[in-house]
Amino acid sequence: MSRHADAAPTAKTQTRSDAILTCRDLSVEFTMDRGTSTVLNGLDIDIERNEIIGIVGESGSGKSMFASALLDAVVEPGVTTGTITYRPAEGREIDVLDRSDDQLQQLRWEDISMVFQGALSSFNPTLKLRGHFVETLEAHGYDVESGMERTHELLSDLYLDPGRVLGSYPHELSGGMKQRALIALSLVLEPDVLVMDEPTAALDLLMQRSIISLLSALREKYDLTMVFITHDLPLVTKLADRIGVLYAFELAEVSGTEELLRSPRHPYTRALLNSTPDIESPLAEMQPIEGSAPDPVDVPPGCPYHERCPLATADCAAVKPAMEAASETHDVACHYWERVPDEIDLTTEVSR
Amino acid sequence: MQQYYLERTLQAVITVVSVMTLAFFLLRLMPGNPADAYRAELIQNNPQLSQADIDHRVEQKLNVLPDAPLHEQYINYVAGLLQGDLGESINEGVPVSEIISEALPWTIFTMSLALLLSFAIGISFGAIMAYKEGSYFDNGLSVLSIFCNSIPNYIVGILSIWFLGYQLELFPTGGRYSTEMEPTVGLLEPIQTLAFLGDALWHASLLILSYTVVAAGGWALRMRGNSIQVLGEEYLRVARLRGLSERRIATRYVGRNAVLPLYTALLIAIGFALGGSVILEQVFTYPGVGYYMIEGLEARDYPLMMGVFLVMTVAVVLGVYIADLTYGLIDPRAQTRGGDHR
Repeated sequence: MSRHADAAPTAKTQTRSDAILTCRDLSVEFTMDRGTSTVLNGLDIDIERNEIIGIVGESGSGKSMFASALLDAVVEPGVTTGTITYRPAEGREIDVLDRSDDQLQQLRWEDISMVFQGALSSFNPTLKLRGHFVETLEAHGYDVESGMERTHELLSDLYLDPGRVLGSYPHELSGGMKQRALIALSLVLEPDVLVMDEPTAALDLLMQRSIISLLSALREKYDLTMVFITHDLPLVTKLADRIGVLYAFELAEVSGTEELLRSPRHPYTRALLNSTPDIESPLAEMQPIEGSAPDPVDVPPGCPYHERCPLATADCAAVKPAMEAASETHDVACHYWERVPDEIDLTTEVSR
Repeated sequence: MQQYYLERTLQAVITVVSVMTLAFFLLRLMPGNPADAYRAELIQNNPQLSQADIDHRVEQKLNVLPDAPLHEQYINYVAGLLQGDLGESINEGVPVSEIISEALPWTIFTMSLALLLSFAIGISFGAIMAYKEGSYFDNGLSVLSIFCNSIPNYIVGILSIWFLGYQLELFPTGGRYSTEMEPTVGLLEPIQTLAFLGDALWHASLLILSYTVVAAGGWALRMRGNSIQVLGEEYLRVARLRGLSERRIATRYVGRNAVLPLYTALLIAIGFALGGSVILEQVFTYPGVGYYMIEGLEARDYPLMMGVFLVMTVAVVLGVYIADLTYGLIDPRAQTRGGDHR
């Protein structure tokens, strides 16, 4: 810890070597009757080529907004500001938030694709699965025949029977099958980046595990960069190379997965890890985080977590902590990140 | 699946029989009695007839034994029905089946046009309203649709007759076709046929208009509600992100999923329409099936009333029956019973 004591805090996240997506000051706001609701507040993050980054946050922390913002697909009347720079393997950088509708249509699904939270309701109920794949290929001017060959391969990779799945209507498939078919659909145009918003939320534990392992295999085979958004920290540690923790519409901590589990620096991350439920221990031993997350219309000044933080001081209530580098691969937004490991014990061990 | 068809068929048959039975007895509970009237008429005109002769003639006319207990009359009527005999109209003196088969084509002609028109207009406007939900266009048309759908169609009929028929004299106020027109339908005489059809359409147009104005409002409101629901579905958002054209989304996604629930309603509406629009046909003195309903009612013409009732019942039951049997063909999700869908 002392080794960082005299390290000058960096104001911004360090720009890393090969970021495929760079977000700077990324914000999403909704204007409502009772005020402006800031559901994503000045996010700075780099997503590196071929990594799997997990974005973890509780309900209403802005994680779904982050997913939508990456495709400039925040629903009306939300307004996305800041910059998202996409760097394809070949060709020029693309400013995602500054594209015409036609250019956006091309970017989405061809370069950056998405798997939605509601996999079970993501298919047109009156269209067979084959139709979904064909219409997607046609809408983007891809060759349907070779596209369908790729579809067959993708479905096989996901342990689905292509003939049967493609000939089925959505309601004829189970939840897990639909989820995997949706992943295949999101990959049919060979995107570089796959954004997944709670892709396993509606599935049982076994199906979650099997999808996680399938995703790892897909990343290897198709050279994918994945952004995996979830509320389930223990789940995402099994998959992600790096993890970003969102709290109250801002990033609290970003770190390599190992390092985050071994020595989390933000009090919120520690509380989150400690609150991980264990199937075998009684309910009374659960350690929920006291208080509740802030209202997006009325986020407290200073550190957004200070009202719930055991280490909070007057300083925390007044001054918002900047992202500081705790190590080369570990950024944290806390005034007292150096003290945190000594002050707050990790009582629950989460392994990968 | 066979079990399902069997159940539905049985259900349809039972419905028709129950409605027929109920109608038979209810009609006879109405004050007044055609047999008495007819008997009085016979005695007055033919004083030499014996009581037995009179009874015989009355029975022939009504297809029931007039003095027999009600349940015997009923059995007699059903027996006749099973042999395809609907009895003879008291008022017209011709078989009821003849009256109906002569009137039915006119009802089908007007009502199918009115129904198609109202459905097409309704779902088009309903879908546009849903797309522009909350706009002035949507609010204005919603109010208009509710207004149209709330007025009884015969009021629209009376207003249109008064205004377009009598005031402006643009349309005839009744009848199927002009008196000087020779009814001609044939491929060999295309000009006469076209002239006749045009004339028939001209005569039916106010009736069609009255029905359409009211029904279109209802279809528009239903389509609007369904479309708004579909527009909020997750799969629509995914479809947009996948880059599908708005045209494809409007037809294959919004249109199809919003129209599907209307299919059953449409088939039932067809059933009702085949029974004719009773009051509307009366307003326009348009001799369709519904027109004879009122005529039969006024004369306490039991066989005629029963005949028209039967046509209406069978048409509606058939509509529902067909809807039940075919819904699975148009909506894949409905094929759950039986499960043989591939």
